[in-house]
Amino acid sequence: MTKTAIHIDHIARIEGHGNVHVVIEDGVVQTVEMNVVEPARLFESMVLGRRFEEIPYIASRICGICSASHVVTDLKAIERIFGIRTTDRTKALRELLVYGSYLQNHASHLFVFATPDFVGTKSVFLLAETNPELLQKALGLKALGNELCTKVGGRSIHPITAVVGGFTHEISAEEYRELADKLEASVEFAVETVDLFRSFPVPDIATEGDMLAMVEEGCYPVQGSDTARFLKAGIEFCADEVQERVEEYAVPHSAALCARVRETGAPYFVGALARINASWSHLSRNAKVAAAKAGLRPPEPNPFMNNVAQAIELVDALERCAELCRRLAEPDGFDGESKPVSFEARAGRAVGFTEAPRGAVFHDLELDERGRVVHASMITPTAQNVANLEADMRLLAERLVADGSGQDEVRRSIEKLVRAYDPCLSCSVH
Amino acid sequence: MSGYATPGFTDKLTAPRVVVVGLASCFGCQLQITNGEEHLLDVLGQIDLSYWQLASSDPMPDEFDVAIVEGAVTTEESEATVRALRERADVLIAIGACATTAGIPGMAADHFLERPSHVYDRVPTACGDMIAPRSVGSVVDVDYEVRSCPVDTVDFIDVLQRVLYGSNKTVSMRTMCGDCKRNETACFFGKGRLCLGLVTTAGCGAKCVKLGRPCNGCRGLSPDANLPSAREACERYGVPVADFDQALEMFNRTDFALAAEQ
Repeated sequence: MTKTAIHIDHIARIEGHGNVHVVIEDGVVQTVEMNVVEPARLFESMVLGRRFEEIPYIASRICGICSASHVVTDLKAIERIFGIRTTDRTKALRELLVYGSYLQNHASHLFVFATPDFVGTKSVFLLAETNPELLQKALGLKALGNELCTKVGGRSIHPITAVVGGFTHEISAEEYRELADKLEASVEFAVETVDLFRSFPVPDIATEGDMLAMVEEGCYPVQGSDTARFLKAGIEFCADEVQERVEEYAVPHSAALCARVRETGAPYFVGALARINASWSHLSRNAKVAAAKAGLRPPEPNPFMNNVAQAIELVDALERCAELCRRLAEPDGFDGESKPVSFEARAGRAVGFTEAPRGAVFHDLELDERGRVVHASMITPTAQNVANLEADMRLLAERLVADGSGQDEVRRSIEKLVRAYDPCLSCSVH
Repeated sequence: MSGYATPGFTDKLTAPRVVVVGLASCFGCQLQITNGEEHLLDVLGQIDLSYWQLASSDPMPDEFDVAIVEGAVTTEESEATVRALRERADVLIAIGACATTAGIPGMAADHFLERPSHVYDRVPTACGDMIAPRSVGSVVDVDYEVRSCPVDTVDFIDVLQRVLYGSNKTVSMRTMCGDCKRNETACFFGKGRLCLGLVTTAGCGAKCVKLGRPCNGCRGLSPDANLPSAREACERYGVPVADFDQALEMFNRTDFALAAEQ
């Protein structure tokens, strides 16, 4: 009997701490485990009894790079409970904030974390020597995401200005116009990024799990809708029903809870690829052209294509944000002000739902009549992805073993797959 | 903090070897380091970044000079990591609220043992041996701190420069209120709203207040803070003292000055 055990301790170039264990016996893949060892901070327990204003601020600390999404998700839940209607202007600013984190996340993930896999270096610092111009442009794109979040939210992560009912501060019309110019000027590089990632060869595998994304009629939604859809099962549901639709469960080897579709028992994927599969036809003009050119059309089941999907979303986000900034610069661009609207706290329960850069995020909040938290449950993108990632790792390992690939090749490909998922393990254990 | 300036590394022939380690945190402070785009490569040019798991798949080396630690200590394993780092590094820098005050993870310190069952039916073995959250400085001596949640990128670079060149610049421990006077921003207490600036360590320029939001105290309680007087101020302005005390827990749950009062 030949037994091969592959242990990858501390996968580098991802956010958080995780190990992978694969055991192959006589050419049969036995064990495949994504061992998430990120420390549990127990957010759902620490927010109990706290005032509603503090919840977005605290929950934002689940994850640095997804912080804007956690804030907007909680704001949506709280506003649904209190019956607050925010203005169109506030909604536009929240959209900018979420998209700003897309630019930060996708540019960091693609160039700092993923690219070294494809150009054969261990870190981005070597890329600085081999292709400084590419790195310069990539960092420029990430910096633009930071600038967008800083202008709208007050700093690049953990936004300050976004509060229940609106925003505490806004920039001038001139600053919006300057931002729009910069965003438009970056579209060309984002289109090149799509071409670059399309040119990297990846294994041809098809996930057997489902996919989940936010959907909205006639739109590529990231925070404006409350409807989610399982693409394969064809199940559409309101975010308030998330506990009935998604089953969370614990496994000993992961500090992150795992998730599956309650009706079908299937694991599922969330993230850029799921969004593009759900709303391809509503991508911005250049994003759609780039997607078509890259051959990414729904249904695209290969999880490695998530990198290409993120690059397409860069194009989409830049064009959409430029348009939002131009409208925000006009005195009558949007109805209403962004100043927080007045409201009264009341008891109730609601689920906030947004599309974070890494995928769908749900915060289920129950408040008492003084607006203090009675119960909280937070379902993050990577927690939803862990089970599907394990299933895909098994699929990939079986394919490689059948093709006679050696241990090193299996190890390298699995690491590459983990990174294609762009996992955020600090989010997944929260 | 030791209170003494550590000798710089500029007299050595080779660049100081630096490692960056993340414990229980949101990874935001490490991100803030990467957000120093235009300065980052200048700074990196002066050091040998031996280990940074976020950015490179090179393994952790056995020898290094400077350890940068982000995050709170929440497991026996991370406590051992911090002790090992302290033993090997000449200089240890704690960055961000989690590492300097236990920060947001520290909120769970109270009745800690009852909490995991709020989240898990059965706590996964992957969680490790969980212990009540604590700051890095409560486990080992810390030479330099970069405060705030998240750290300010320029603030971080400033501290790193001081480490590299052995500066003995003292760190101000005054409270935030003076900054608002200088910024000419109106006080939230005048509107009957709670703000933690009156007891929080200054240094961020009252960033949040400038943007219309009260201070949440992320830089931690100032040693100069006068808590009884702050509570009196709350009463004077009609802000419930209970709200003030609860708000303080957000970043100071494990602060012994607060614990000593209880």
